[in-house]
Formats: sequence, structure tokens, C-alpha cells
Amino acid sequence: MEINVLVVDDSSVMRAMISKTMGLSGLSLGKIYQAANGQEGLDVLSGHWIDLIIADINMPVMNGEEMIDRIRANPELKDISIIIISTEGSDARIDRLRRKGAAFIHKPFTPETIRDTVKDMMKLGDSDEGTD
Amino acid sequence: MRERINHILSRVTEEIFEKLAFMFSFPEEGFEAEIESSAAGPPVVTEVFFKGPFSGRLVMSLSPRLLPELAGNMLGADDNETTTPDQRYDALKELINVICGNLLPEIAGKQAIFNVDTPKIIDPDGTAPAADETLLGETGLLVEDEKCELRLYGIGGIPDRVLPPDSGADASDAF
Repeated sequence: MEINVLVVDDSSVMRAMISKTMGLSGLSLGKIYQAANGQEGLDVLSGHWIDLIIADINMPVMNGEEMIDRIRANPELKDISIIIISTEGSDARIDRLRRKGAAFIHKPFTPETIRDTVKDMMKLGDSDEGTD
Repeated sequence: MRERINHILSRVTEEIFEKLAFMFSFPEEGFEAEIESSAAGPPVVTEVFFKGPFSGRLVMSLSPRLLPELAGNMLGADDNETTTPDQRYDALKELINVICGNLLPEIAGKQAIFNVDTPKIIDPDGTAPAADETLLGETGLLVEDEKCELRLYGIGGIPDRVLPPDSGADASDAF
């Protein structure tokens, strides 16, 4: 199974870091799309098949939490796997995101943390890892 | 309390430099505020504002010599691959964003909720406090032998109720 990924972060450097990390994760990837805020993320979702969203919380225009709310309210999108990667340190906010069905990774992160979280969230086994 | 915040600021910054950019840093011996212009040019300064149980801004100034390595390491660029000025500034803004996001819960505890603004690159004169700002903590580091300074400013100090029980603060620490 190839995973199409959408990376949503207002920092181009963080988008590049996450995309590169995903590429090194050993997971079998399809296309990696990028968006600079929640609204751009929703625009990408409206035109492409996405299996996994990796998003920041604090972004201009539309933040990550509002984007999650819109996705969960859309019958066609509500089951997409979502991982939040953020510096957020508040337990209350992190719990709230988890109740919305998102996994949470704290910045700074390691490639292994992303790989393991993706595998766990998408219930992937070793056979789903890429061969290259 | 200033000493405690200085220590936290230094520790968090060292840790983030290492984990995010694979760059090692050490406390600068005899640190005195004021990073001066060097042969490499004036320092590059970035700031990020935050609001929460206490509000203020974190300011970081560093030698421009650090930017290519910082951006290159964060982006995983090859040795012969150069980064653009925009990528370098973006890397610096992400760095201060991660430092600030990790710093505030260390000071105020994990129950505290902060809203952190988008970081900006500012004029080197912007490291000085504004009229309503109080210096809460500062640190100077040597990163790959280049200077890096951080200052945490608060608007009105930190209320005692914000500090977690194990902070070691006492009444005399109040700003």
C-alpha cells in the first residue's frame, strides 16, 4: 500500500524536514503534497486522494485544530489519519487534539518517532515498508 | 528566579540546537549581553511573541555565519547544496519557534496554555526591551564557535501563581 501524504505547516523548512523524514522512514510512499495553512490543506484535500495528514497547529489563515474540525465534519474526509507535529506543551490542548482522533508528536522529533507513529496510526506492518 | 530562567533558557536552547539542527553549543564564558557586529556583519535577530499565563517575547540574535549551516542541517542539504536566504531565515524562525514552544512549559508547567505568534526577523536594534517589557532571563551560547544570545522579556513579569510548585521560586523572586 502506497501512502499519499499531505504536510501542512507554515514553515517551508519544517515542511521540507517532514517530507525528507517521511522519505527516509522506510514507509511505502506515494505522493507527498504540501500546504502552508489549514485552508490550503483543505484545498489540496478537495482535489487529491490523501491517506495521511501531518500538520502543525499554529498557522495563519486557518490553524491546524480548525482544519481537523472541518475534516472530521466532512463525511468523505472524516476517517483520514492525522498526525499533529507541534511545539505545543499544554497537556489540555494535546488531550483535546487526541480526542479529535489525531496523534501527537512533539517538536523536535526524530525520524523514528514519525515512522513509528505513522505505522501505529495506520496499522501498518513491516510488509508495508518500502523496498528502496 | 532570574537565575532559574537563565538556566532553563540555556538548557532548552542547547537541546533544540542539537536535536533540530545537529549543532552543538556551550554556555559562553563571561557572557555579557550585547552581541556586536563582527567581520561577518551585524547579527541576525529574530523574535516571537507569546500570550498566556504570562506574556512577552523571546528574542534571539546570532552571527550570520551560523545561518548556512543551520539551514543546511535542518533541510538535510548535501555538502555541495546551497540554501537560499529565504530558507535560512525560515530555518531561524522555526528554530526560535521550537525553542519558545519548549521553553514556556518548562517555566510555567505543562498545564499552562500559551499562544505563540509567528516568528519574525527584525532589526538588530530590536533586542532592547520595549518600555513595558521586563527582562526575565538571558543566555549567551557559543554555537560552533559563533555567538548566539537569547533574551526572554515579559510584560509585567511572571505572576507567582504561574510558577509550578517545584520551581524553587520564593517570594523574593518576584519581579
